[in-house]
Amino acid sequence: MTAAAAASGAALADLTLQIGETLTRLQAAREVSVGCSPKERVWSYGKTTLYRYLPLTVKRNSLPLLICFALVNRPYVLDLQPDRSLVRRLLEAGLDIYLIDWGDPEDADRHTDLEDYIEEHLGGSVRYVRTQCGGGPVNLLGVCQGGVLSLCYTALHQDAVANLVTLTTPVDFHTPENLLSKWVREMDTALIERCGNVPGELLNGLFLSLMPLRLAQQKYVRLLTSRPDRRAIEDFVRMEKWIFDSPPQNAAALAQFVRWFYQENRLVRDTLSIAGRRARLGEIRQPLLNLYALEDHIVPASASLALGEYIGSRDYTGCGIATGHIGMYVSRASGAQVPDRIASWLAERS
Amino acid sequence: MHTPGTGTSFKPEEAYAAAAERFFELMKTFGMTAGMTTDWKALAAPLAAQFERWLQMSQGAVPWSGAAAGGTPGSLFGLGMPGAAAFGPLPVGPAAVQGAEMPRTFELLGRLGQLQGELAKHWSEIAATAAQRFIAKLGTAPTAPASPQQALKLYELWVSCAEEAYAHTVHRQDFARLQAELANTWAALIAEQRQQAETLVRSFGLPTRTEVDALYTQLKELRRQLAELGREPPASQVSATDMGSRDAEQERQHAAGKRSAAGMRSAVKRGAAGKRSAAPKRSTAGKRSARTRAGRPRR
Repeated sequence: MTAAAAASGAALADLTLQIGETLTRLQAAREVSVGCSPKERVWSYGKTTLYRYLPLTVKRNSLPLLICFALVNRPYVLDLQPDRSLVRRLLEAGLDIYLIDWGDPEDADRHTDLEDYIEEHLGGSVRYVRTQCGGGPVNLLGVCQGGVLSLCYTALHQDAVANLVTLTTPVDFHTPENLLSKWVREMDTALIERCGNVPGELLNGLFLSLMPLRLAQQKYVRLLTSRPDRRAIEDFVRMEKWIFDSPPQNAAALAQFVRWFYQENRLVRDTLSIAGRRARLGEIRQPLLNLYALEDHIVPASASLALGEYIGSRDYTGCGIATGHIGMYVSRASGAQVPDRIASWLAERS
Repeated sequence: MHTPGTGTSFKPEEAYAAAAERFFELMKTFGMTAGMTTDWKALAAPLAAQFERWLQMSQGAVPWSGAAAGGTPGSLFGLGMPGAAAFGPLPVGPAAVQGAEMPRTFELLGRLGQLQGELAKHWSEIAATAAQRFIAKLGTAPTAPASPQQALKLYELWVSCAEEAYAHTVHRQDFARLQAELANTWAALIAEQRQQAETLVRSFGLPTRTEVDALYTQLKELRRQLAELGREPPASQVSATDMGSRDAEQERQHAAGKRSAAGMRSAVKRGAAGKRSAAPKRSTAGKRSARTRAGRPRR
């Protein structure tokens, strides 16, 4: 045996030991908890629940902030753990925060469509918050697909929203970098709708297949060689838990979302109607802060950037953060910038 | 703190173990275990074969990809969704075998197999390109990695080359069309099988999916109406100021217009007939140029 072979053999043996240790830690961390800030359930409609986070400090913004997350993932990623929590940072900034959790659709919900989500679920949440806060408008924070719903709602209900913040929100679905859009462009949405609700795992599979080696392999291999301690493993498992914890999607709403936005690009083509009324970006006059991730593989920055071109507001601020789609919610880089930007931007407009 | 329910695919230790196994396999290919100078050019073929195999397996969560064809017939990866192998005549009942729909099912099955074959060609092309890129980027022949850090560096280069090759293919229009056609064919097969199930269920006098859907539609409309009635203030409380809200006014108009009993009846009828309305046609208004909005002053 050569000296090089002996060195390689020793290194591999060490690596094997390390893998064993990491596996044990991963198993131990499997039941790790997610979601860290106390909140109370204040309203519900169908499977949707509206939560209000308990304040952590004296209120410093007179308007409540309602967070509208995507339908395709769980909102607890915004409050994953104390040191990775957009919600907690905003609570510390003195904001009064409400969060919509869409829940788990069942087969009986397969006909729930986007109009229901926008007018009844999101609309009902807004109406509830308004009644609790003297009837005035609310600040709305839409995240990813929830940003699209928030834009639609704001376009339809001008006096219900004071300021709008969008985070990783697609607006122009036909930019060249948008791989998901290319893949679904010719899907028969009526046929897919007939097949019923879509399991969360299927969407996960689609998201992972956008960059399969990076998203389904590389992160584990990096863990192989990094000698992670218990805390690092728990952080890792929390993220994994969230990534794979996707709710099923209502057939009608998903089919509409694909058709209206991914296929027909109705927001930028100005052809969107909801509940019999035109929902036009040009009608949105509210101050708008648009935060997008520069390395986003699901919602390319170009898809979000377009909002600035179509929005009716004269008070528009666009801001790119050097991170990826999920990094926008949990990375240290975005944690250091995003909450402060949102809080200070809202404070200037209260 | 709470622990919400997790999806069925949340198995970090399994994913980690599988990744470790593949990493070792790759390192073996790179000659790490032998500690020898590797003939890197000769690596292209085994590297491509490994990657192609992995690409086929990794598409498992996308049911129309055909990843299950080799190993998991029937239910795909615990999704409770039928794989291509599961499509076929229903196993029981008078309409199971002789149904007039069967030729259509076989036609769709054939088409699905054909499309999955085309997809496999893409995986092969991606894998070969990835391996070639990797070998080219290695440049002068290095020695096999001697430490995990060196191995990881090599691995990162491999991932980068593989993702580049993958992106190059999957962004192409022909690949996108293939993905869509696979999904459509798969959905058509499910729809076909459900139609056969309905025939069977009807023959036993049981309620069908279509009938249940019609009831859901009716229930949904009633809930909507109820919610709107609940929001509407009593007539005596509606003052001119209250009515000044454009939002409330629009909601009332919408409620009055759209939620008519006639509309509801027709919705139920549509549901009972198992039909879906066609997607609305694109409006010519959609052609508005982005340039008309550009250059507007901003604060």
